[in-house]
Amino acid sequence: MLELEGLVRRFGEVVALDGLSFAVGAGELCGFLGPNGAGKTTAMRCAVGVSAPDAGTVRWEGRPVDLEVRRRTGYMPEERGLYPRMRVHEQLVYLARLHGISARDASASATRWIDRLGLGERRDAAVEELSLGNQQRVQLAAALVHDPHLLVLDEPFSGLDPIAVEVMSDVLRERADAGVAVVFSSHQLDLVEDLCRTVAVVSAGRVVLRGGVAELKRQGDRRLRLEVDGGTTWAERLPDGVEIGSRRRDAITLALRADIDPGQIIDLARTSGRLLGVRLEEPRLSELFRDAVDGAGVAVGSRPDEVES
Amino acid sequence: MSPARTVLLIAEREVRQRLRGRLFVITTLAISVLLAIASALPMLLGVFDLGGDEADDGPPDPVAIVVVGELSSEATEVLEQTLGPIVTQRAADPDEAASSITAGEADFAIVDGERIVVPARSGVFAFDPPAASRAAEALALMALLSEDEGGDSVGAVLDLAPLPVQQLGDEDPADAAARLVVANLGVVFLFGVLIMYASMIINGVIEEKGSRVVELLVEAVPVRRLMAGKVLGLGLVGLGQTVVLFAPAMVVLVVTAGDLVPPGIAPLAGWLVLWFVLGYGLYAVIAAGLGSLVSRPEEAQAVLTPANMLMILGYFVGFASINAPDATFARVAALVPFSAPYVMLVRQTLGTPALWEVALSIALTLLTIGAMTLLAARLYEGGILRVGARVRLRDAWGAARR
Repeated sequence: MLELEGLVRRFGEVVALDGLSFAVGAGELCGFLGPNGAGKTTAMRCAVGVSAPDAGTVRWEGRPVDLEVRRRTGYMPEERGLYPRMRVHEQLVYLARLHGISARDASASATRWIDRLGLGERRDAAVEELSLGNQQRVQLAAALVHDPHLLVLDEPFSGLDPIAVEVMSDVLRERADAGVAVVFSSHQLDLVEDLCRTVAVVSAGRVVLRGGVAELKRQGDRRLRLEVDGGTTWAERLPDGVEIGSRRRDAITLALRADIDPGQIIDLARTSGRLLGVRLEEPRLSELFRDAVDGAGVAVGSRPDEVES
Repeated sequence: MSPARTVLLIAEREVRQRLRGRLFVITTLAISVLLAIASALPMLLGVFDLGGDEADDGPPDPVAIVVVGELSSEATEVLEQTLGPIVTQRAADPDEAASSITAGEADFAIVDGERIVVPARSGVFAFDPPAASRAAEALALMALLSEDEGGDSVGAVLDLAPLPVQQLGDEDPADAAARLVVANLGVVFLFGVLIMYASMIINGVIEEKGSRVVELLVEAVPVRRLMAGKVLGLGLVGLGQTVVLFAPAMVVLVVTAGDLVPPGIAPLAGWLVLWFVLGYGLYAVIAAGLGSLVSRPEEAQAVLTPANMLMILGYFVGFASINAPDATFARVAALVPFSAPYVMLVRQTLGTPALWEVALSIALTLLTIGAMTLLAARLYEGGILRVGARVRLRDAWGAARR
């Protein structure tokens, strides 16, 4: 298990991490979400030891992260990083060997990942000759080639075509199933919702939402769309925990707190007329995300320079 | 993996990548071939000169010999048979003979029929006058035959040693000239490779930093080992390149004109290698430390300027000391690590440094390399992960403390 606890990191006046804590267990595939400038990249850099926090600890299996742990960590930096002029297979072998893998195993592993990620024909091409999408596949292979226990991937999906997204998703799922702790950042919330079992949402340097995707959705506000013959005057009598989203002629969309029984609201609506339509939706991850980030912005005092978009 | 193996693995990559650079390999081989051809020139010119002599169909000039003491008529006869027409003049003592030779009035002198005095050599690859060598052999043979009648003359002839040939002047000017050439070439060569390899180091560091691959590397390897591996790898490339550049030329020179290579030159090749290694070690770690402060190749030369200044300063001091290799100025500069590689090489070539001076110079340079390695490693640790704007020295220094 990877545990980040109370991480603080400042860059001059800017507070990138403000007591960030969260943990990722073995076999967990965790989406690491947050608006631009929330501190995702800084947190991931601290997790893999590329950056040192001003305060707080990073532990793996209860021990502070040292070189031995880092050698069993696969990392994909946000800005990517490979030797541009080195050949794909050779480069992967080199990186694996630096991580302590024997020459023979390194070569076999590099070949395996090259084939798995569909790079077989470009095996001896220099990285700079590859398309950006293929470079990214090599970058993923570089994170995987030494068979890590922990994968920390910064925006692995950005810039990939749909086929590559599928390959990447399959690989991440497969690694998590094999017991690897996987955490990756992304802005593609729908993709994260489909792929991840758990998410952590960061805002202004803190984790503001954390849990299983299914549970969070159950706990979040559900959306109830009701259309009743005879206007929406019934909505004046809504109980606490229900908010009106939008209203159009006979139709009304409501946000229901998790503890509100939708049946109760439907009954209320039927008092004013015939029910024309009912649709009950679980919240989308993107809505949970927005709510969590908005709430955090108020709670810690908004910092417009950091919380943009 | 042990630290040493990690460093070797990194060094191996540096060597492999460098050897894959076609321009680098082709340029090196081309220069090597040119040097080898150039070093065969003395032989080629010699052959050419010989042909010229044979084509000269006029009667040869008589050989002018100064005689000190007695020269038997038998000996005169032998000399005429060996050398063709000769002209002899008498001199009261060797000094007078020497002044005749120096004035160009005679080709060589025979003193008491026992030894031969020839003019001082001039030029790097000058010969003793061939007539003097032939005379030395002929007179020795004559003496042998007259002493050893009925003896085992065949064996004695085979063992025959010519009369001793003595050169005028305290120092052999040919050797001195050769040494001067070696000292000049050594300083230029050292300067060239130091500048080139410092630049290779800094570009390698920037490549890793700029491409962010270093973020993957530090995950597996402490940054000090990264730096050590890079310095070691490129150093091995540098040594290899030096050998490839010069070894063929030296072999050609020794094989084709071995007797023309002045004595005492060979060990200098070893010293040159030593001073390359030390100079490289010193400037390479400085370049690595400075390189970690910047992210873009355009910034490389700017950040390297202080190191380049030191290298250039050392180069000029090295040249200045060629004129006075044993002056106080040179003796001090030979102990200062930043100029020691140049100046001590010059002193070892042209001057007479005491053994303790050489040892102290090496020790001080090694100590400085050690200190610079610590400083550079700290800058490297503080700077290598800070991509973007140039990192200030103070920031890199402070960041490493974490």
